[in-house]
Amino acid sequence: MLSVRDLKAGYIHGAPVLKGLDLDLTRGDCIALMGRNGMGKTTFVKALMGVLPEIAGSIRFLDQEIVGLAPYQISNAGIAYVPQGREIFPDFTVEQNLTMGRIGKPKQQNESFDFIYEYFPILAERHKQLGGTMSGGQQQQLAIARALVGRPDLLLLDEPSEGIQPSIVQELAAILRRIVEQEEMTVIVVEQNLNLVRRLAHHVHFIENGLIKSGVAVDEINKDPAIISRYLSV
Amino acid sequence: MEMTLLIGLDAASYILTLLLVCIGLVIIFGMMNVINLAHGEFFLLGAYTVVLLQQYALPFAVILVTAFVFVALIGLIIEELVIRRIYHRFLDTILATWGISLALKQLVIILFGPGSQPTVAPFAEPIAMFGITYSSYRLFIMGMAIVITATTFLILFRTRWGLTARGVIANRQMASCLGVNTRRVDRVTFAFGSGLAGLAGAIMAPLMSVDPQMGVGFLVPAFLSILVGGIASPLGAIWGASIIGGSNSVVAAIWTPVIAQIVVFSLAIVVIRLMPDGLAGRKKR
Repeated sequence: MLSVRDLKAGYIHGAPVLKGLDLDLTRGDCIALMGRNGMGKTTFVKALMGVLPEIAGSIRFLDQEIVGLAPYQISNAGIAYVPQGREIFPDFTVEQNLTMGRIGKPKQQNESFDFIYEYFPILAERHKQLGGTMSGGQQQQLAIARALVGRPDLLLLDEPSEGIQPSIVQELAAILRRIVEQEEMTVIVVEQNLNLVRRLAHHVHFIENGLIKSGVAVDEINKDPAIISRYLSV
Repeated sequence: MEMTLLIGLDAASYILTLLLVCIGLVIIFGMMNVINLAHGEFFLLGAYTVVLLQQYALPFAVILVTAFVFVALIGLIIEELVIRRIYHRFLDTILATWGISLALKQLVIILFGPGSQPTVAPFAEPIAMFGITYSSYRLFIMGMAIVITATTFLILFRTRWGLTARGVIANRQMASCLGVNTRRVDRVTFAFGSGLAGLAGAIMAPLMSVDPQMGVGFLVPAFLSILVGGIASPLGAIWGASIIGGSNSVVAAIWTPVIAQIVVFSLAIVVIRLMPDGLAGRKKR
């Protein structure tokens, strides 16, 4: 469903962060991207979302070329994005935040939020509360829920565990696991937290200097956690 | 007693008039952060719509709607041609909108001449109440100001379109990533604010001398009201217009208009100095 070829992208003309990256995903895949800081993980998800000023190469998503499309077109084509730092609307209620998530999607316009509230009961309980007054973990749930109300085919998660206490990370991983299984979601998660990666992903890809160097199944990591340090250390 | 009532009514009239002029600016300046120096000319275009259409003896309600639509279209064109290239470039915005303001003003002079144009109030009989008489058209303006302000707030805070517009203003990139066509929202929001300025001009036309300079008189107090009220909050305009308009008309009635100006500007300086976020500005935790 997703086929990335020779993707070169970055923030400044002539200085690409991604240097010809290739990646293929089939429906239902759930991969984690790991790598040291500055290797291009966040840049990669931003490139998929179409928010980078410099981009070249090819990204085919559901038989449609999406390089050059505006972010809203990519979103409405079926890719949802949970950015690093969550970026919920602090002055909007939970419900209004969720409404923003489907505003460009005519098919979901009259759907009830109940299926989302089932995964995230805390959001149902606080549907009238302002997003900005919630805890980090709740805001993260809201950001994920907001991405899901548009019924995407591909979900991009950028550092979902950032700034969240460990016990909540476990809970979050369990919720995400359920969503991936029940909604048959395809997921790319950028993550440093091995705990979350092992609970969520099937495969881990390592990104280095703007290229995907290698991949390894999560099962192998579970057998030998030292693999990670081998890939991540210099 | 009558005197107090009259001053009170005059103050209310001025406050609501100011609010009427402010409400378009609330959207363009307060929410979109565009310092639109051509706002006075949008007001002017609305007034001249009345001048032009009254020659064809159209009903006043039709003229008001036409003024809104016409100036909204002008706003749409200006947004597409100029404004969209200079969002987030403050100095360029001031320069470009000043240029637009000059061009529109000259265009009006070429078409209608520099002199003032006649307009007729649709009704003018004074109304007697509580021992005083008051212009019925002024009362109409006050009513319209309340209705238009209330409608604008309903649109901004109770409709999905308003939610989208506020979302785009709060976080443009995230809104786009959620599937909102931000360009379209910008266009419509700017056109809506422009249309409101045109509507204000059309409503005010029968009371004012309709000439090419009429837009300037309200521009300064309107910007000031928004700064005093709090730029980030649409509700601040109500506070700002009340302080600026109220103090101006009360002091002008008791002393002189000159002293009123001094009082208004001093008050504005004090408020902005003590509360940089304005009266409605939120205290950051």
